[in-house]
Amino acid sequence: MKIDRLKMGTDTFDGLGGGRILRAAPAKPESYIPYQAEVVDIDVESSNTYLLSLRPMDEEDDHVPINYSPGQFLMVSVFGLGECPISIASSPTRDPLQICVREAGRITQGIMAARIGDVLGIRGPFGNGFPLGSMRGENVLIAGGGSGFATLRSLINYIADDREKFKEVTVVYGARTPQDLYFTTEYGSWQAAEIEVGITVDMIDATWKGDVGLVTSLLADLDPAPGASALCGPPMMIRAVAKDLLGRGFLKQDIHISLERHMKCGVGKCEHCTMGRYHVCTDGPIFSYDVVEDLI
Amino acid sequence: MTSTTAFFLRREDLIHLLEELSGTVEVVAPVLVWDEAAFATWRGEALALDDKNPLASPVEFFLPKKEVLFRYVQYSGRYTFSEDPPKARLIFGMRACDLRALKVIDGIFGADLSDLPYASKRRSTIIVALNCTSPGEGCFCRSMGSGPVAEEGYDLLLTDLGRGYLVEAGSPAGVYILRAHHRHFEEADPEDIKEKGRLLALAEEKMIKRGPFPNPEKIREAIDGADWEEAGRRCLACGGCSFVCPVCHCFSVLDQGVPDGERLRCRDSCILSGFSRMTSGANPRPDPGERLRHWYLDKFLYIPEKTGLFGCVGCGRCSRVCLGEADRWSFFKEATE
Repeated sequence: MKIDRLKMGTDTFDGLGGGRILRAAPAKPESYIPYQAEVVDIDVESSNTYLLSLRPMDEEDDHVPINYSPGQFLMVSVFGLGECPISIASSPTRDPLQICVREAGRITQGIMAARIGDVLGIRGPFGNGFPLGSMRGENVLIAGGGSGFATLRSLINYIADDREKFKEVTVVYGARTPQDLYFTTEYGSWQAAEIEVGITVDMIDATWKGDVGLVTSLLADLDPAPGASALCGPPMMIRAVAKDLLGRGFLKQDIHISLERHMKCGVGKCEHCTMGRYHVCTDGPIFSYDVVEDLI
Repeated sequence: MTSTTAFFLRREDLIHLLEELSGTVEVVAPVLVWDEAAFATWRGEALALDDKNPLASPVEFFLPKKEVLFRYVQYSGRYTFSEDPPKARLIFGMRACDLRALKVIDGIFGADLSDLPYASKRRSTIIVALNCTSPGEGCFCRSMGSGPVAEEGYDLLLTDLGRGYLVEAGSPAGVYILRAHHRHFEEADPEDIKEKGRLLALAEEKMIKRGPFPNPEKIREAIDGADWEEAGRRCLACGGCSFVCPVCHCFSVLDQGVPDGERLRCRDSCILSGFSRMTSGANPRPDPGERLRHWYLDKFLYIPEKTGLFGCVGCGRCSRVCLGEADRWSFFKEATE
């Protein structure tokens, strides 16, 4: 079933993450029963955000690899509290499977209260993921704001591990304060992989020596060449960045936006994530700007 | 239709047939509950077949208002899960509109990543349909192309001829029932089949004045041109329409119990104010008018795009419950005229 799901987005499925499925999924495919995933590591990304490393398991506690693509998400359960969509923060080129969780409601609180060795439920991966096929061979601009950066980190590390397939790669990322920046220890490795990285914050403190202001101001500094782009962040930021990119000669259909919606099922049935005729869970969460221009 | 599998069932034999069937499966049929017809497990009481089509659609036996998706039991930090096996069931007296609603939901819940709880109930349920010879006041199934004649989606189809029922099989399971319970059935007379045609033509005749088959382009124009702000002021956003609509299938999921418990799925409605609200507080459809507009767009444009069928079957139930005088069908007719 995992394989079938990825077939749905053959355009986005990529060989690098493939070939890792060793056995068929243990649960019935269409069932709502999740896999169990053991929390094997927890990194504190910011005061209210943790990066959890997971080991999905079968009934015998054996590791079951999950085959996924950057931009996809999981439905993550805390039994007793419920289930919510969380984007995958790791790249399929690297182990382990990671999710980045920011404290927002009771389920995310529950996930963050998990300790190493505790078990969460996961279903998925769901959604289409970034269109890697059409991004390859192009310049790539990645723009993130706030917690939206988690899903982009999956793409950035994916590109870093397959760097020669992409032309110029630029990452711009903005957060509220320096303490709200995620994955700070990885920026150096991205630069080492010849990825241009621009970071900015809205509010500074005494320790901050970097840029201040909006992500769009970084674009003015770095002047990325037109190509493909991947965006995730608050709607205001998305609109501002998309407008800026159009001015730079990017095409609407090459601006790929990861959207967030309330979700209950992940499989296009519960209707919570509908956006016009689209289900964000199955038609998205990645949409090109020409499709969602009037909907975001 | 001349059919080799058309039989005649005498009026008094219907109860005997149901009694026999209820020996092996749970029989669900319209009976009087608090003086109103409702689909419920049949325990030998009188059938309420002359009343209006029950407000709660029999589709609820496939997508219950509340159901357990699975149970979780924790032992030593690890979980084991279990799902209830589906119940063998026979639904008696389902009308054409509700059959069509099931077909629409098949196109949604059976498509792509198919939904196991729905699919397993679908597979384990026998449907005995009843042709609508006296359509209700607010029904407009003919305009939606879903009734009053049941054309598909049943195992057995009954047509009330007054002195008894004409019975036709629509599936191998239906043929099986006819054979296994043959002592209740008589060979149908060609006159019976003619009588069926006459009664159904009469029923269609009654509905002809209730509006034409809607044209998707016209609908798009009507939806674009409607004053949704005004409609939103009339709508109380109670969700009543969605909870009686046989096609509406929005649901929410919640857990009950720690460390052991159940994950439940409950009916929800896109008309309710918090339906799309995210944890951050952002709400993509905050106004009742916008939500009402989405309800129409989904039923008349998005569901047809996905399933090839309208998301409205013309059963008129939404109008029966609307408190806000946002009577859906008359509102819609206003908009298309």
